[in-house]
Amino acid sequence: MEAPGVHLSDDGTLPAMIEVSDLTVHYGKGERAVEAVRDVSFSVKPGKTLALVGPSGCGKTTILFALAGLLQASAGTMSVGGSAVTGPRRDVALILQNAGLLPWKTVWQNANLSLLLSGEYPRRNAASVLEKLGLAQARTRYPSELSEGMKRRVGVARALSTSPTVMLMDEPLASLDTLTRESVQDLVLSLWQELRFSIVLVTHDIEEAAFLGQEILVLTERPAHIKARVENPNMGTEAYRWSDRFYAATAALRQALEQ
Amino acid sequence: MTTNGRRTGNKSGRMPHFRQSWNDLADRRGVQPTVAYAVSLLLLLALWQIASMVVRAVYGNPFLPAPYAVFTQMIRNAPGLGWDFLLTSWRLVLSILIALAVGVPVGLAIGHERVLDRYVSPMIYIVYPIPQVALILFLFLLFGTGNATKVALVTLVLFFQILVSARGAAKNLPQEHLTSVRATGASRWQIYRHVVLPASLPDILTSVRVGIGLGMALLYIAETQSERGGGLGLFISRKIVFARDTAFAGIVAMAILGLVLYVLVDALERVFCRWKYAGRRRR
Repeated sequence: MEAPGVHLSDDGTLPAMIEVSDLTVHYGKGERAVEAVRDVSFSVKPGKTLALVGPSGCGKTTILFALAGLLQASAGTMSVGGSAVTGPRRDVALILQNAGLLPWKTVWQNANLSLLLSGEYPRRNAASVLEKLGLAQARTRYPSELSEGMKRRVGVARALSTSPTVMLMDEPLASLDTLTRESVQDLVLSLWQELRFSIVLVTHDIEEAAFLGQEILVLTERPAHIKARVENPNMGTEAYRWSDRFYAATAALRQALEQ
Repeated sequence: MTTNGRRTGNKSGRMPHFRQSWNDLADRRGVQPTVAYAVSLLLLLALWQIASMVVRAVYGNPFLPAPYAVFTQMIRNAPGLGWDFLLTSWRLVLSILIALAVGVPVGLAIGHERVLDRYVSPMIYIVYPIPQVALILFLFLLFGTGNATKVALVTLVLFFQILVSARGAAKNLPQEHLTSVRATGASRWQIYRHVVLPASLPDILTSVRVGIGLGMALLYIAETQSERGGGLGLFISRKIVFARDTAFAGIVAMAILGLVLYVLVDALERVFCRWKYAGRRRR
């Protein structure tokens, strides 16, 4: 299956949508510099998902922020859709830990924020996305009036509003209760199956990584580097969450993390 | 509801409907705050009346005029007092507007841009604690004895007030709000417009509220410093010795001006910071 706007290369294989090679990131300068990420390399094909899992504070988020163009890499290269990452770009959407909603904007204004800032609003708006996520009735509400699950859905709506080809998620479902978390995971999965954007998901939750990652990279303590790769070909299959394959994947991940 | 409550009776003998009807009253939004305002003002008048009677009893002299005498003087002096009220109002409002127009952008920029903060904040720390009223003679030399000096003095004080709170608000902005907007490729101006300013607005309005009282006090001082130019300050200081009732009419006029401005700032907050009230509304 081919993601929109992606063409086969001459030898018939899909070129990678995301290509990260030997990424190293330092915070600070000179002698007091702290190494957050060391020599991380991975690639994600169009329409595929990748999960980065590792202990809290290990530098996972740094990798994601570098990919989003928010941080400068100290060494290594990153490209999305064949062009180098030099700053934030509109075909890459970032979903933050607490959905990153602005409390002073309504659901409608939050969902349309990316379109507004790029000058496309009101020619283009998030009405259909809000409809799809069941938020049409909540348009005029403020984030403080929403349940945690709804807030995350508004965050997803904002990210989807620009029809990105890459979705970067930073612990998007942290601090949600189990049932809400699973319902939002199901939502992300079904949106991905329908729209086939590429996903890079950062999480410290083993089950979340196994549920949403086709490939899972296990990271070490800071500075983050890859200590194991786990293939997860069964991700997204029918009733995956209740299957033995899912438990096998989480078990494999747990083992890799503990090693 | 009431009859129902009585008919069913209550073994403890307490009226079961009382609490209910009190809550009903409190729920009638729109009416209730106005009623509360009126009750509060009436209470103040009563306290004033009592205080004036006590003073009279203790000193045998009405040093503190009673409300009735003061309101009579207000009506009798209405034309002159009205004019001085307008003069003081526009001086105060103009000062607030100038202080906002300069203080907000500068404060937000210092709070948000790290380099500016590093070099400008020490300057503020050293200048802010100076009592600006000490500069009044200097301001008279610069701006003369007209309106300009009065407005300049109040503006100077409010400017620092607003600057300091705008800076603090911009500086303590949650990082996640900035990150989520930066990730969309927002320009610097867009970040100020959509994140820094709206996040700081409640603090800025609070500093305006504090500034109203402070500004009024300084305006009073400035207005009494010159024999011309009018204003409530001059009105009060001219009458305080020989016509206390009339002087108090000026004081009440100042209080009314303060009240009007507070109500106005509250209204502005309800319009521009609606999100702050949203959570309370539906819960």
